Amino acid sequence: MTYFGIKYIFIFLPIVIILYSLMSKKLKPIILLCASLGLIFYISKWLIIYVLLSFLSIYLAGLLLQKIDSKRDLICEGKEREERKKIKGKYKRYKKIILIITIIFNVSFLFYFKYLGFFAKIANRLFVIFKINLSFEIVKFIAPIGISYYTLKAISYIVDVYNEKISAEKNILKVCLYLTFFPSIMEGPIARYTDVKDRIYAGNKVTYNNLCFGYQRILFGMFKKYVIADRLNIFVKLAFQNYMLYSGVTSLVGAIFYTIMLYMEFSGTMDVVIGSAEIFDIILPENFRQPFFSKNISEFWSRWHITLGTWLKDYIFYPVSLSKPVKMLTNFNKKVFGHRFASIIMGGIALFFVWSLNGLWHGAGLTFLFFGYYHFALIFLGNIFEPIIAKICEILNINRQNKIYVFFRIIKTTILVFIGELFFRAPRLLYGFGMIKKIVTDFNVAAFKNEVFALGMDIKDFAIVALALIFILVISILKEKGKNIREDISKKPIYVRWTLYYALILAIIVFGAYGAGYLPVDPIYVDF
Amino acid sequence: MIKNIGKSILFMFILFLLIAGISCLLLPWRAVKKYGILYTANYPILSEEENTIDAVVVGDSLVYSGINPMVVWDKYGYTMYDCALAGQIPIISYETIQESINSQHPKVIFLESDVLFRNPKNIPIDTIKLWLTNRYIPIINYHDNWKKYLFNFLNNDKKFTKFDFYKGYHLIKKIKPAPKSRYNYMEYSKEYLPIVDENIEYFNKIVKLCEKNEVKLVLISIPNLKLWNYKKHNSISDLANKYNLEFIDFNLDNLLKINWQIDVKDGGGHLNFRGAYKVSDYLGNYLKDSGLVKDHRKDKKYQSWNESYKIYTS
Repeated sequence: MTYFGIKYIFIFLPIVIILYSLMSKKLKPIILLCASLGLIFYISKWLIIYVLLSFLSIYLAGLLLQKIDSKRDLICEGKEREERKKIKGKYKRYKKIILIITIIFNVSFLFYFKYLGFFAKIANRLFVIFKINLSFEIVKFIAPIGISYYTLKAISYIVDVYNEKISAEKNILKVCLYLTFFPSIMEGPIARYTDVKDRIYAGNKVTYNNLCFGYQRILFGMFKKYVIADRLNIFVKLAFQNYMLYSGVTSLVGAIFYTIMLYMEFSGTMDVVIGSAEIFDIILPENFRQPFFSKNISEFWSRWHITLGTWLKDYIFYPVSLSKPVKMLTNFNKKVFGHRFASIIMGGIALFFVWSLNGLWHGAGLTFLFFGYYHFALIFLGNIFEPIIAKICEILNINRQNKIYVFFRIIKTTILVFIGELFFRAPRLLYGFGMIKKIVTDFNVAAFKNEVFALGMDIKDFAIVALALIFILVISILKEKGKNIREDISKKPIYVRWTLYYALILAIIVFGAYGAGYLPVDPIYVDF
Repeated sequence: MIKNIGKSILFMFILFLLIAGISCLLLPWRAVKKYGILYTANYPILSEEENTIDAVVVGDSLVYSGINPMVVWDKYGYTMYDCALAGQIPIISYETIQESINSQHPKVIFLESDVLFRNPKNIPIDTIKLWLTNRYIPIINYHDNWKKYLFNFLNNDKKFTKFDFYKGYHLIKKIKPAPKSRYNYMEYSKEYLPIVDENIEYFNKIVKLCEKNEVKLVLISIPNLKLWNYKKHNSISDLANKYNLEFIDFNLDNLLKINWQIDVKDGGGHLNFRGAYKVSDYLGNYLKDSGLVKDHRKDKKYQSWNESYKIYTS
């Protein structure tokens, strides 16, 4: 079952909505929980045990941490400052042990299902290089659905309890629902407990407005997926699979199309996910904010897969930056090389960890690691050169807020994103480099003219994709300007609203790339 | 509350009308006028010019993956159409043959005999879904016709043929070799695999219908190492003898020299385009030998077939 499939949109979701609406306020969250666990069981069968083990581990560890905090506070009462500090230090050590055990417990499942094969392969290669007579058997496991997402959610919950940002939840069902909530289990967003805790278990009514708003959003997501992403899929598949047969222009167009396809597929999925949750009056955090209006790569990552970016910032970047060894190194650098150099190095070390994990999170493979380090290099270099560029602009009297200057920055960022996504999609790292070489050394426009219609798309397909992208672009520009389009539409007279809805539904039915002759995009982010 | 329910019902009703309207635009108009939207959508053969199809092949997924009418057109100039549905059962075969005869009056009908072994009380859910979609939401199968119509509206081609250049065939390029352990699937046996009474009843009706309309009915069995066996062969041979019909079992002695390593798409269950070429070529040759049909390649009335072939090969 996928979020775009008939089973989910026309069977599963309506049944859950009906059952949810029929139940009392108290029982409504139970319906959501049953639906969530049911969906996981339907897809992953008995692997659901691993999901339940993760949830139980953070629930129990959370309560234990809270208990330690209470005990610590009780003992500290009326004590001198120095003694209080001592007691707090002692209890912090206990807490740290619990935190580390819980994190290792959760991450070990992720490692087992997703990375064991990858690291075994690397180990086998090293054994060959060093002539060690040993080799691991490579076994590919089927992972429980959404393991990369719920593990990050589990870690964020337990770390926040540890840091006393949130109190441990006593209601076992509420924690379970937070971790397994069916709209977000497969592809995120990686919501924090604080984002959803008030609404997820509130059992609010399904109102007419929520239903309309939710389905509007779902429709918009379907439009992105069926009309654009699925139509580009065959072209992308052929362009990447057989790049050596085509000119460099085809490789370039393939990389551009893949980036568009990925954006449409993933942001479309988020529309379905957020729309589904909205029906139950649960607001999930947004994962995209017009990423192709970014002026640099750093900004791009604050607009693309936002919840992953903020997770990595909060649970990797800051802890690494504030860790003892990095602090010591920073202090040393400050004394020897000065403040600026010290902060660049400190940021660089933390960024290195962030992007190593970002790459690995996306997949166990060298292409993904390269994808991570590519972005690390761009952001790190950006941090170094940004003040220099600012200075040059100041000397040359260039206004950096000038629209033309901003436009070129956006174009530059977009090109860098295309290159990154090319490696992300390439079946192997060498393929990625091969395609780049093709683009640079064989940029043959005449050959492209012969190839363009041989990759599964005709002129009518290109026309529909172009029109649909213009539609998405207009919406993105309006959103970027701060307009709340859905609110605006809801204020229009009924005939205007309905005309828009009918147009969207019919556009999906007629111009959707489904049925014989099409190859739908597999849910890309489900595998991550 | 009541107001909202009323609004929702009105919304769905208008949507239904709009979908019906769009279906009218995207389905072959000439056929829609004559047979209605749902009928036209359910039987794609109705989209073809009347009385232009020489031979019809009826059956399940084995047919639409295993017989390529474009090969027959290219090599022999005969018009053939695959009227196939995944998991087809004899009652649907009968209805399909009825519609084919009414609109096309073909000279020959090939019936894939594996449908006779399918229990009509135990139809896979996917087949029911497909059948329901075909029958009640036809636009799902025809939506892509916008490519033809949207850009040709000014030409005002009132014929509006569906222009299915595959003529019911599903082009499959995938190769998945069959396991060698299954190669002996046609091991000799004296036993018979029983056919349920309901299927015999509809088979009987099919035979009578063909006799009445003077259409030659031929039973065939497309190479299928997963589901076919000698017991099935015996049962169909027996049935063919009883009704005095021809039965071509392509599975027997590997009549077409199917290469189970490269001619199949899913380990021997269905043929890919290589396997389909062999079956189609054989059937084209069979039609030639029968003397019942003639070469239309130079006939102006059949120009759309040449156009379809051009698109098919492009």
